[in-house]
Amino acid sequence: MSGQHDDHHHPSAWGPHHWDHGAPHNSWAPLIMSVGFGIFLFMLASAFSNDVVDASHIPMVMVGLLVVLFGLIIWWRQDLSFDGTYEPMATGTPFKNIQIRKVGMWVFLMSEMMVFTSLFSTYIRYRTGIENCQTVFERGDWVEQGYTLETGEALICFEPASHLIASSWWHIAPGAINTFALIVSSFTIVQALRYASKPVGEIDEGRRRKLVTRYLASTWLLAVIFLTLKMIEWFIGFYVPEISFLGIHEHDIKSLVAEGYTINADHYHHHNWVDEETGATMLADVTVGASTFYVTTGTHGVHVFGGIVGLTYMTLKAWKGGYTPENAVSIEYFGLYWHFVDLVWVIVFPFFYLY
Amino acid sequence: MASRTLVIFVVLLLGMVAVPSATSLPTGVAGVKDSGCNCHGAVVSDSVVPILDGLPETYNYSEVYTLTIGFTGGPADPSNINQGGFNLWVSDGDITPSDASVQSWNPNEVSHTDAGNDQTTWTVDWIAPSNDRNVEFILHVNSVNGNAGSPEGGSSGDEWNRLSIQVASPTVILEQANPYTVLTTLIIVSFVLLLMVLTFIFYQNNPDSFDWENFAPWVAGWLTTTDHKRVGTLYFLAGFFFLGIGGIMAILIRIQLMEPGNDFLTQDQYNQFFTLHGTTMIFLAAMPLINGAANWMVPLQIGAPDLAFPRLNAMSFWLQPVGAMLIFTGVFTGTGADTGWTGYAPYIVSETAHSGTTMWVAGQILLVASSTLTGINFLTTIAVMRAEGMGWMHMPLFTWSILIANLMLFLSIPAFGVGLIQVYLDRVIGTAFYDAASGGDPLLWSHLFWYFGHPEVYVVIVPAFGIISEVIATSARRSVFGYRSMVYAMAGIGVVSFIVYGHHMFTSGMDPTLRFVTMLTTMLVAVPTGIKIFNWLMTMNGGSLVYRTHTLWALGFLVTFTLGGISGMFFPSMAMDLHFHESYFVVAHFHYVLVGGTVFGLFCGVYYWFPKMTGKMLDERLGVLHFLTAFITYNGVFWPMHRLGVWGMARRHHTYFISVDEVRGVDGEVITEAVIGALPPEAAGWNMFITVSAILFFFSNFLLIINVIISVVRGKDAPADPWGGWSFEWMTESPPPTPSFGRFENGEWHDLPVLRDANEHIANEPSKLAEWFSRLMVADKEEGSN
Repeated sequence: MSGQHDDHHHPSAWGPHHWDHGAPHNSWAPLIMSVGFGIFLFMLASAFSNDVVDASHIPMVMVGLLVVLFGLIIWWRQDLSFDGTYEPMATGTPFKNIQIRKVGMWVFLMSEMMVFTSLFSTYIRYRTGIENCQTVFERGDWVEQGYTLETGEALICFEPASHLIASSWWHIAPGAINTFALIVSSFTIVQALRYASKPVGEIDEGRRRKLVTRYLASTWLLAVIFLTLKMIEWFIGFYVPEISFLGIHEHDIKSLVAEGYTINADHYHHHNWVDEETGATMLADVTVGASTFYVTTGTHGVHVFGGIVGLTYMTLKAWKGGYTPENAVSIEYFGLYWHFVDLVWVIVFPFFYLY
Repeated sequence: MASRTLVIFVVLLLGMVAVPSATSLPTGVAGVKDSGCNCHGAVVSDSVVPILDGLPETYNYSEVYTLTIGFTGGPADPSNINQGGFNLWVSDGDITPSDASVQSWNPNEVSHTDAGNDQTTWTVDWIAPSNDRNVEFILHVNSVNGNAGSPEGGSSGDEWNRLSIQVASPTVILEQANPYTVLTTLIIVSFVLLLMVLTFIFYQNNPDSFDWENFAPWVAGWLTTTDHKRVGTLYFLAGFFFLGIGGIMAILIRIQLMEPGNDFLTQDQYNQFFTLHGTTMIFLAAMPLINGAANWMVPLQIGAPDLAFPRLNAMSFWLQPVGAMLIFTGVFTGTGADTGWTGYAPYIVSETAHSGTTMWVAGQILLVASSTLTGINFLTTIAVMRAEGMGWMHMPLFTWSILIANLMLFLSIPAFGVGLIQVYLDRVIGTAFYDAASGGDPLLWSHLFWYFGHPEVYVVIVPAFGIISEVIATSARRSVFGYRSMVYAMAGIGVVSFIVYGHHMFTSGMDPTLRFVTMLTTMLVAVPTGIKIFNWLMTMNGGSLVYRTHTLWALGFLVTFTLGGISGMFFPSMAMDLHFHESYFVVAHFHYVLVGGTVFGLFCGVYYWFPKMTGKMLDERLGVLHFLTAFITYNGVFWPMHRLGVWGMARRHHTYFISVDEVRGVDGEVITEAVIGALPPEAAGWNMFITVSAILFFFSNFLLIINVIISVVRGKDAPADPWGGWSFEWMTESPPPTPSFGRFENGEWHDLPVLRDANEHIANEPSKLAEWFSRLMVADKEEGSN
């Protein structure tokens, strides 16, 4: 049962696929990807099941992800040869003559909106329902109630990440650059689509291949910059040296985690929370605020990562000259998703980073 | 060939016989009590003699015994610092340490501490159980070499041994079945039976080529298929399998409840069983069965060659068994989720909830993904792939029901998914979404869950409405009465279902104004359903009913669903809900609408569409027998639950008491005052009646399985349209070819069906809504070009 090539009688379930016969009617990808996700979630839970991370389970978590990747590669193998000879078009009103896959992408985005709505609801519920830590600090009761570093007892309050991030330009720099990067990447993906869909004759085919690949690669790069800066902001922090002729002072920008803003910290104290009279420092339990921040922005980051995975495939396909005016519309499907990710960020950024 | 068949079946039969000897161990297989002291790198040796003193032959209820644990022999030397260790496990009762040399892992298991490493005797207290149990002690002792200076380290050269002691109860009791053994045995047996039947069907299809070269591609074909018909069959197989498993759990629950104060299931086991019963039935049985019917029939009914995204459809299916395996990991270790299928916070994120809860959450996340993909697929398919001439108001009612159900599903399930991810992260990495000590709000889970949960229960009933519409229309030999109002009623249910979920939270302390609003909207949502019932009755009134099996099931549905709907109408009233909440009245209501509604609707659909799906007719006599036995026993199970609920029998409680029970105190004396919450004496009899009916109901459904197997193997061939239906699926062969309609040539679809004469339904003009909506849509390309 060699499934390595597709012929008329035995369409290959492993890919590649001849699309003039229509969509693939057999594929190992769904089964393999499902099993991979199962292994991943199972191993992730058992890696963290005690209070200490059980490092021996991490390899199996990776195995789960590798199985998912393996299934995805089979899916891509079947898709790589898609040249637009079979792009299903809608027949039913009011979608007549719109590509079915475009309608599908819009429907998918509807459900994704509900995901972010639920995350935002959680954030708003907690942000408005729990007192802001700065308000509690300024009120000053905590001193005599004994919520200080010395007593070790932490009071519950909501500490938005913006308290840390919006405190200075350098703190907000990664987030601002990220916003800029995502907006520019929305532009580059449109440019990729534009050049891919230019009619034959209007553009030299070699130039089309080069430009489409470049714009897709730029989108990919900007997305990777986004995630890299996010990781720097969350975990690594950065150091700004003194550059006197530009008027830049030395800054050591600590990461959020280094500041103590984590989801299961025993305690958290902000460097400004010092009582003038007694010198005591307020100790706070900010796990709710940290949880909503990291999970919401993290979910967005996961969606960016998904986009990077898709962009990897698309850049590869473009480099092989796989995008022609006939199938250029598949870039648009991704573009819709990417604009959605950008839009979510444009809403997340002010709500979580600035306000 | 025949001898090969025989060998394979003998092997499978032997497997079935051997399987019951596999036991599922309550504390998993990683405990010391099973694997011995291997963790110390020690070897077992008979020169080490374990000692366990202080145990009686027969214990007295709740008495405290001081036990001395020790050993002689082995390489332990009083001059060493480290001399020995032990692990003592008991099946019942509690062990507590006496001093710092002993530590407790859980009430049933103790072992030495680091400080207690330097002695060879230890003392613990054991509190005997307060009821009759066969108690077993398992003691492992380790005689320590203490050669810390050796290259292998301090625990090499140790020797250990094991001792097992039985202590009898005051009243002699027989060995009791471990419910987990029963459950896992039945699950494995069912699965093996399923495989045997599938192999048998493969054999029957082609007896001459029953060998591996043909079997492997056949299996691979099923594992990799993206054809909507095959995926639909896979959904039916998975759905019926889990319907059986959920039924087994229900039977075990009913065995526990058949008499007051029963101890077949402990409270902890009972919690896990009802959690798994609910989860299995809703997510692994009802939803897949509905998806099976939808996968099969929606493309056929709208005249499409397949669904919009066939590979995504296959992925939706395969996420289900994988999710099921995650959910069931807890079953096989005895630490399954015990939170109820509703998984309320803060218990679900607490330490006391079993570890299987995390797996339950992970499995549910996969099922959420599966449902989201399904929703996208069906919404897109129905929106874009209808046959030419089929406007929205020309679609069959089953397709409408799937459209509305999927709209509800995929707009509400992301909230559940986000809640699940929050619970998963709370349990795994320690976020604080539902941790009240850090300011988290458990009520947030209730909102997220029921925002999904209420549309979900309409998601499982609306397709049944669709099936019933089709069946009653065909059986009455006329079109459905009031097609347009049927569509608007389902759409109305779809919209209003999102604003009624508060009625699941009436007792949570929510704002009285919100409770009032929810009360009104809940009463409102019953109106469209009532409209549908009246339309069905009018359909029959204006038609001429033929009594086939599917007709009987549809009539049975009308009775049971109406009863369930009426019993549901007691809950919107806040005042009454306060009394009915968490009682058996709720259980009766939702089983009437879920089993009497969804399951009966699906059975109806199976009998109706079986000839189309398999090309064989089901046996009509077996079908009628199935209906009569199932319908009567089903009502025997759930009707008395209304009365039990009114008497105050509580839901999700592992046992109950009646007011003439003799209750024994700690010294065995009889306490004669009534137990609070006791039920009248008749309640015991009714519970027994329910249990017997449930067992009969469970077995009556095997008639369907037998019918299916016999008919697939040697049923009569089915024509394209055995019942005289009018929708597109009846215009194809039985079973339909692949692709279901048309053919794909030169990059285009040819010969797709066209709906010409649609005057049964409505005139051809688009409605106002469609006109406005189509003005929003801008096609990229001119009509006619590709």
